[in-house]
Parts: sequence; C-alpha cells; structure tokens
Amino acid sequence: MYLPDFDYYAPPDLSEACRLLREFGSRAKILAGGTDLLHKMKHEEFTPEVIISLKNLSALREIRSEPGQDLLIGALATQNEIANSSLLQEKYRSISEAAWNMANNQIRHMGTIGGNIVNAVPSADLPPILIVLGARITLVSTEGERTVPLEEFFLGVHKTVIRDDEILTQVIVPAQTTTGSTYIRFGLRKSGALAIAGVAVAVTMEGEICRSARIVLAAAAPLPLRARQAEQVIVGQRVTPGLLEQAGLAAAQESRPRSSIRGSTEYRRDLIRVLTRRALHKAIQKEHI
Amino acid sequence: MTEIQSPGDTYSVIGKSVKRIDGKAKVTGQAKYTGDLKFPGMLVGKILTSPYAHARIVHIDTSAAEKLPGVKAVITHKDVPSQKYGISPARWDENIFCIDKALFVGDKIAAVAAVDEETVYKALKMIRVEYEVLPAILDPLKAMDEDAPLIQADYPHNINTEIHQNFGDVEKAFAESFYVRTDRFVGQRAYQTPIEPHSAISLWDGDKLTVYSSTQSPHYFQYYIARQFGLPLGNVRVLKTYIGGGFGGKLEPTGLEFAGAALAKITGKPVKMFYDRHEMFAHNRGRHRQYMNLTTGVDKEGKILGVHADFLMDGGAYTSLGVASAYYAGALLTILYDFPNYRFDMYRVYTNLPACGAQRGHGHPQPRFAFESHLDNIAHHLGLDPIDLRLRNARKPGTITPNEFKVGSCALQAAIEKARDISHWDEKRKTLSQGRGIGIGLGAFVSGAGYPIYRTDLPHAAAVIKVNEDGSSATLYTGAVDIGQGSDTILCQMAAEAMGYSFEKMNIISADTEAAPHDFGAYASRQTLMSGAAVKQAGEEVKNQLLELAASSFGVPAAELDAQAEIIYVKEKPERRRTFADVAREFFVKKGPLVGKGSYIPPKLGGKFKGAAVGTSPAYSFAAQVTEVEVDEETGEVNLVEAWDVHDCGQVINPALLHAQVHGAFFMGMGESVWEEVLFDKKGKILNANLADYRIPTALDMPQFHSELVDSYEPNAPWGVKEVGEGATTPTMGSIANAIYHATGVRINSLPMSYEKVWRALKEKRERDSRANV
Amino acid sequence: MAEVLTDSGQRKYHLINLNVNGDTRTLAVKANALLVNVLRDQLDLTGTKKGCELGDCGSCTVLIDGKPVNSCLVLAVEAEGHEITTIEGVSHNDKLDGLQESFLENAAVQCGYCTPGMILAGKALLTHNPHPSEKEVREAISGNLCRCTGYVNIVKAILAVAEKTAPEEGEQA
Repeated sequence: MYLPDFDYYAPPDLSEACRLLREFGSRAKILAGGTDLLHKMKHEEFTPEVIISLKNLSALREIRSEPGQDLLIGALATQNEIANSSLLQEKYRSISEAAWNMANNQIRHMGTIGGNIVNAVPSADLPPILIVLGARITLVSTEGERTVPLEEFFLGVHKTVIRDDEILTQVIVPAQTTTGSTYIRFGLRKSGALAIAGVAVAVTMEGEICRSARIVLAAAAPLPLRARQAEQVIVGQRVTPGLLEQAGLAAAQESRPRSSIRGSTEYRRDLIRVLTRRALHKAIQKEHI
Repeated sequence: MTEIQSPGDTYSVIGKSVKRIDGKAKVTGQAKYTGDLKFPGMLVGKILTSPYAHARIVHIDTSAAEKLPGVKAVITHKDVPSQKYGISPARWDENIFCIDKALFVGDKIAAVAAVDEETVYKALKMIRVEYEVLPAILDPLKAMDEDAPLIQADYPHNINTEIHQNFGDVEKAFAESFYVRTDRFVGQRAYQTPIEPHSAISLWDGDKLTVYSSTQSPHYFQYYIARQFGLPLGNVRVLKTYIGGGFGGKLEPTGLEFAGAALAKITGKPVKMFYDRHEMFAHNRGRHRQYMNLTTGVDKEGKILGVHADFLMDGGAYTSLGVASAYYAGALLTILYDFPNYRFDMYRVYTNLPACGAQRGHGHPQPRFAFESHLDNIAHHLGLDPIDLRLRNARKPGTITPNEFKVGSCALQAAIEKARDISHWDEKRKTLSQGRGIGIGLGAFVSGAGYPIYRTDLPHAAAVIKVNEDGSSATLYTGAVDIGQGSDTILCQMAAEAMGYSFEKMNIISADTEAAPHDFGAYASRQTLMSGAAVKQAGEEVKNQLLELAASSFGVPAAELDAQAEIIYVKEKPERRRTFADVAREFFVKKGPLVGKGSYIPPKLGGKFKGAAVGTSPAYSFAAQVTEVEVDEETGEVNLVEAWDVHDCGQVINPALLHAQVHGAFFMGMGESVWEEVLFDKKGKILNANLADYRIPTALDMPQFHSELVDSYEPNAPWGVKEVGEGATTPTMGSIANAIYHATGVRINSLPMSYEKVWRALKEKRERDSRANV
Repeated sequence: MAEVLTDSGQRKYHLINLNVNGDTRTLAVKANALLVNVLRDQLDLTGTKKGCELGDCGSCTVLIDGKPVNSCLVLAVEAEGHEITTIEGVSHNDKLDGLQESFLENAAVQCGYCTPGMILAGKALLTHNPHPSEKEVREAISGNLCRCTGYVNIVKAILAVAEKTAPEEGEQA
C-alpha cells in the first residue's frame, strides 16, 4: 500500500496552523495521531493535497482542571494519556475507561481524543461518554474561537459542524452533579474490534430514585444517538430491574443501526437493549463518575 | 504391543527441548525474510488483478503505464508462456495471466516492474483494461444448475471433482441400526493468514533462474517454474531464507514467481514481487466452504455401524490443491472411529470466487467438526456421555479402515481417558452452571502423505550430512522447509543423535534446490517422519564410517563400537574412547570428505479404488481435545475459558517445539470456530480482506491452554515419531461446538459459531420454549 | 521545520534527523514516506516487519519515546525529534536483552515474523510495569497478532522476565 502524495506542514503554533488551514481549506487535512487519517488515505477515501500536522502544538496535549471547575482535555491528548491520567481516573473514570477499552495499546498511544471526535464515525467510543457528561468542544480559526456542545457537533458519518478552516483544540467537561456514569462497548473480539454497539449513560440518583439520566448510543445511527425515550422511562422513577429492562427496550426501539458484515440490524438492536440495561445498572451502582 | 523406548534415557540429543537453531536471528531482527532481501539494481513488481468476478477481457492498453517515468516493464498474457499450470496435475487450469476471461475478483491480468513501490502502484492504475462483464456464480449450491454459466470450458456443470466411494454396505447397516440420524453442517471459507505476506525475488544469470520465495515447497515451485518456462530443473534454483508462516497458503505457486521471472528476464534486473494483505486474501487458497450431510447408524449401545458422508465444496475459480482437499474431506473420516460400512459422495464445484486449497488439517477439520457435532447429537439422543460413546468406537492400534488405511500405533483410548481426567470432565459435565459448558472433540491426521502431489518415483525426502574436516562442526543439507514449525531444529537434533554428535555443533542448509537434496517440503505434516527418516539414515552413515575407521585403532570390530554425544567408545569398555572430532579428522586425512546420505520412500500404501492414495500415510496421529466455554446468553458472546489437548504423536524429538505446535494448531481451529470467515459482497469482492474484520483471535481471546501427551511409539517411523502440527487443529471446532451446546443447549451447525449466530440460536430457542409453555 | 528539497521531477523531500537506536541519521524523505518504509528501505532495519500496513497486526511495532506504535501509521517526518527504538536496538552488541533470552528459553518464537513487534510491545510493558499480571501481559500484546503460537509461550516468556527481576521497594509483587 502507499500514501498518495501531499504537501506537509508542521506549523510551530496554533495561529500559524489556523492560517495554513484558512489558506488551504478543504484541500487540507489536519494530522493529529494519524491512526484514522493515514488509514483512510491508504484506501484513498481521503486524498488531501496538504497535510497540516499538529505535532508541534504540545500545549494541546494537556489534561487539567481546577477544583470545582470544568475539566479541560486538549485535543491532542492520546487515548492512553486519557486512560492513564490520574486526574481522569480519580474524577472521570468513565472517560478513562472508555479510552482504555476502545483500541489496542499501539493505537491508543497514537490516536487522539480530537481525532476520535472529528473523524465522526458511528462506532467512535469517546463521543457517547463525553456527550452524556455534557461535554463542549472548542473550535478555533483565524476568525476566533467558538464553543459547541458536543451533542450538536455531529451531523452524520464524516459530517460535522466544523468548518474547513477550523481546528478542534479542546474538550471541556463540566463539573458534574451526576452520581454515576459509564460506557459499555461490544466488539466481536476482545481487542482490535470496532464497537458494533455501545451505550454511554450518566445518571443522578437520589436514593433509589433516578433524578436525571442521559443515554447516548454508539454504532446505533449515523451519529452518536441520544436515547431520549429510554431516558424518559427511568427519570423520576424508582429504579427496579424491570424498569431498566424497559429502558433497554426503549433504547433498542429508538436506535437505527445499519446491517453490515459485523452485525445485522436486528442483532445490534438487541445488543443495545442489553447494553443499555447493563450500563444503567452499572452507573446506578457506581459511586463515581 | 510395541515396546516403548523413552528418549532421554537412551538418547543424548533427541527428546530434549533444545533452543531453536534460528531463534537468535529471529529475536534480534537479523532474520531476513524474502521481502527483507535486497539485490543491486533490484526492481519491485506487482500484479494487476480483475475487479470483476467473471468478465471477458476485451482489450488491455498498457501504453500509459509504460510511459510513466521509472516503469521498466509492463507485461500481460502475451509476454508469458500460455500453457496452463496448477498444483494438482489432474486439473491444470490456471494461466500466468488471464487470456480471455477473468474468473474472480483478484484474477491476474498484468504485471508491472518499476524502480520503486510508489511508481509500481501508480503504474498499476494506469493500465486500461476493457472488460465485458459476464454473469457470475457466487453460490456454490447453484453452480451445477442447468442454466448456470460455465466457468471453465472443460468442466461441464462446473464440476471440478466428483467422488463416489462405497465401502461395505451402508444401506444394510442403516437398516440394521437402532438409531439412524442425519445432520447437515456448513463449514466456512477461511484463510491461512500467515503474518508474513507472500513475496518472491527472481534473478536471471543467462539461462539460469534463481527465485527466492516465501514458500513451503521450493521443490514444487522449481518443478512448476521449470515446466512453465521450458527450462531443465537444473536451470532453476528455488530457495528461501526465513518464512513467516504458511499453514498451507504458501504451498503452491502464487503467480508472483511466474510474473517476477518474466519481468526479471525482460528487464535484465532482479525483481521483487509481493502481495499486500488484501491481495493475499484475494489470491487466497484457504479453507473451502463445505456443505456436509452426515448420516450415521448406531446400535443400542452407540456402536457405529455405518456412515454416509454427502458433501459439496466451493472450490472457487481454479483447482488449486482442491482435488486433494475434496478426497481428504471424506477419506480421513474413517480414521478415528472403527466402523465397517462407509460411503462418501463429494462434488467440488467451480465458482467465481478465489480458489481454495490446503489449510492446516487439509480438508479434514470441517468434516471433523461436523462428525464430532453429529456424534454428540447421537450421544444426547441415546442418553450417553459423549466420552463413553467415543470410547466405545475409538480405533485400536494395528487396524485397517474401511478405505484401506493401515493404522499402526494408536493410543487414542489413552488420550481420551487422559483428557477426561485432566479436564475434570465428569465433575464439570454435572456441575457447571447455565451458560458454561464443556465439550470434547477428537482428531487425527496423516504423518506425511503416502504419495506426492504429482506422479513421480523420486524419494519423498533426502538428506546429506557433511562433517567439517576437523570434526568441529557438521552441516545438514536437506530440502525440508522450516516455515516456523522448527524443522531445522529437530532435523539437526535427529542428525546429531544418529551421528553420535551434539546439536550445538550442527549447521543446516535447508530448502535450497541447488545446495540441498530433494525433499517435497512442508505440508501434510510430513517432515518429522519423512525428512527425519532420511536424516537418520544420513547420520547413521556418518557414524558407521567413523566406527569402521575407529575400529582399527581400538583393535575391535566396528560392531563393538558406538558413538554418542561426540564420543566414540567401545560398548563393553566405555572408558576406551576417542572424540568424534579426532576420528572425523583422521577420516578426512585418510579418506577425504566425511559425508553421509539418506533418502526415504514410504512403503506401498492404500487400496486400488479411485482416489485410494489420498489419506494414506505411514502413520497417523490422534488427539482428544476438551474445551470449556462461557457463553453470554444475552449477547451470544463466546468466551473460551480453558482447553486441554492430549496428543498421541509418537515419540517426541523436541517437547517445547512440539507443544508449541499444539498451541498454534488449537489457536487456528479456535479462530475458525468462532471468529474467522472470508466474506464476499454480491459481486464477489471480499468484504473483509484485512486483519480488522478477518478476526484471528488476539492474546486476550486465547484461553488457558494445556497440552499433554500419551505414551506412544510408531514402528514405521524414525525413533517412533508421528506428526503434530495439523492433527491438533482437527478436533478443535467440534470440541468448541459441543461445549457451546453443553453450555446453552443450542447446536450451531455452521461455522463460524459467531456471537450473532449463537445469539440468534438462543433467541429462537427461547421463542420455541415459550411457545411450548403456552 | 525541516528543510525541503525539490528534485528535478518537482518531488519534494524533507531533510530530517531521525534518532534511531541512539544514532541520529540525516535523511531526505518524501512527506508521504511512512516510518516503516524509511526504517526498512533507507536504514536497512528490516527487523521491523510489514504485515498489514493498516495498524491491525502490530508486526511493524517500534517504540517512539518508549511507547509502542505501529510504524505503518506514522509519517517519517512526524518521527523527527523523537527517540525511535527498533528490534535492532534491543540487544546491546552481541548480548541479548533478558526478554529476548526469555523468548528463546520459553519457545515463544516460531516463524518469527511477529517476534520483533512482540518483543518491543513486551519491553514497553515491562519498562513501565515490571511485574505485570497475566491479564496485563495479554492486554499489552493484544495489538500484536501471531498466527503460530496461540500466544501461550509469548505470554509465558514475558511473565518469566517479570518473575526474574526483584520487585522494587514498595511495589507489590
């Protein structure tokens, strides 16, 4: 296999990166970890004339938070940096667990959170858990920056609201009032398999009553899918096993998975039912995010 | 009963887990595989393949590609010999490049040689081929239909191979049976998936061609290349360096050798040809998709009275090794269980899909899966423990199968009993909780095929040992091929043992048709027994020459001397001794080079009926495998918890390498059980020609695994050895299928037993159960 | 940013300094040159293998700053400024690393094609986690596919090295 030709730039800072991107627009692609971009270029799904590498923008790797403040994850933080971050392990374990389980070690060392989001594929593992935690993202261009709720970012497969001249620079996870969250994925082998179904949930429990719940499904639609009917099943209710099963059924019903070589629509729907119930159960039991 | 000799007591080299002779080169990255080699001025080449499953080639325009700077040659069928070739001489049906028609997505159309890889890829895209797309056959069950398009002109109804064998009287046996059962099974198309992609480098020196190839058999490649280009065998040298796995997928010519030889001739430069991973899948030659109907009659106690195997296999577009695969599928069903009446019907049909060939266990693992599943169904019906049913029918040593295979050593019963004990079968069958289960499968395989692939009276194996002039080292020359299984190591152990020498001082030159004597190569689990027999003879010839010479210095007849571990000594007075090196040096001074040679021809084997040769072997291995699984009954996810293999593989030359073979053999069977399948779209293009969606298991999927042996000695083999590398693949699919059945109560009749299939079967069972309860 | 040279065919080459196995080499590479190809073709470090070229098999694993990555998914120009370790850099002169020895002792090598990647993945694990559990070992090599061994002896070989080294102070063995 080989990579089609392109011109390569590795700008020294963000403003130069934005300037280059403005100059080349849709003819350029941003290179972060490369695990997905180079893969697609080898298949000529993408044939950018220009590659703008973010390798020199080390500030975008940072993961930080002030007590009581939002959590900031730089777009270039790798999946392993997220999985191994003590800050995340302590306060947002569901995010670090999702990063750990999404790919094998080699890929986790290269793949970035920004890439996993911007790539916009239905099986992406990080967007669902970030969405249930109310994450926003920062998009920067020569025009300035804007912040977009991640839930509103996706439009379809490889389609998002990002403009050709914008770079995703960070993910903002707000301080949580939720009591538990988790992401459960299902792949066809224990490693090196895309999720054929995934469910992220975040709940706020008050005793046995579920005060709020957010459920987002992976690989269930062209974009991460908010399972609102499933949420409605449990919000304000006393949680029972039967109720969780009903929520699972609701999530399965509102999901729209496609059939592929990895699984039929019918199978994926049923997986969503099971995973939703299991994820809710786990998040409710947990005493951390 | 054969007396069992225990290596280690009597032997100084064999029976020991010496470290691999090629280990250091491999752990340091110094081992050069074919694709790692470079030659001055070397070009790189690739093959352009058909995007259509069945198409007439109207026109090929190579002019644009030829003009691309850096391109040195572009060739099509016009530039190469047009005669057909294949691997199975009964059905030569391939051309180096397609002449009129492309028969599958991936069929070879043209080839390019250029200065670097990037230029080659660009040039391939610039070759313009005009096709007229023809109706294609993608479903093997429709290949023999009246209105089906004809794929190969010489084969009416698209029948590539048709087999009807009948031994005893099956109908009578069924009529007399207490219970007759028919089950239908399907085995999927799988792929060998060696981690090293195929490559070949061709170099000409005048009329002499040298080909470095990633091959399991330099001999067959030499034979076919010479035939194709009209050269005497002596003008073609095929050799290999290190091979990154084969598993059957590197046994036959790949097209890279032919195209590379032609390109190298035209350009006058060495040419390296290689496949990308997706091209390996397209070239394929993996396991056939098989449809298997089995009917078996048993008496009240479960004794098998007769079996009818009625099979159909998807051969793909060419014969490949498929004639043998087709015969093997039925032939080896008679090995494990002793029954007198057997009928085998088979059609191997052409389709417009990649050709299938020999994959580890050649033709046998899927029928074995079917039969082991089928037997469990019978045990269930009769209310028998599956192991008791197997013990009741297990083959005994010194017996003959209905299709006339002579079984010498056979410790099958001991293997079954040991597997039952070490897996805690009896307890687990009763106590495992719902969703957890344990199952057994048995397996067997040939220790080398009784007959080579093409008809010849050449010995099957030959070896030469040359001792260095001062006796400080010796070199074994053998055509045997180390593809990773460790034959270089164990053959050196055998040579050293036979010579009375030590392993550490052995060198080896193997698998080079010019430097080493002829051997058919690494397939059909043949090398330990067959190449080993030749090596033993060569080693003994070295030893005998030394003993003859030493006899005069000791003043005793040679018969009173022996050699072991580099010492030549008087048997009755071992303190009277000389070193091997000392005597070897004296030999060289007085008589010239100290050389021993050996060769091996198997005894005349098999019956006289059509196809009687396939499945014959000097010896058969036996195995019992137990697997414990855990099934998530909501998602269908299958988790392998633990597995036990107990093997009857004769005497062991290198225990560490032997168990490593069992690990890998189980692993391949396990992958095919649950995870692996080559899938096609509606136009015959592979949908998962990559390692993300063709899911060979990862380290996290592999269960805790135990490999154990039973005492066994094969009288027809050097030091009593038998095979191991393929036999342990054969029981796995059945053992896992039976474990899933035990865990869940659902029987999955088609491979792979994917999570979704298990999920669906469980769902249907729940629906059936709830309807029954209404 | 590295200097860019243009040849007579208007192809652009980046002049990069690549630190491989402790030595820095100056190379002219095209932007689309993959690290795996530069290592193999320009530096003749063919111990780094190509198995799938899509990051699925781990044969081309190298360490970048001690971390295992698939060199088939890394541009050579991106590797500048980092320390790259290939299998050729694991042994020192003729002395094998303990993990290499362990692979030989435990018969963890068959065809050997996955071996360089496996050893590097194992090295990276043992460096940051000298006493891993069996599960951790399996996880660490789960991006490296092997078709010969069923991983049985590879896992054993990595664990054997961990057992040989004494636990550090304060560490739970």
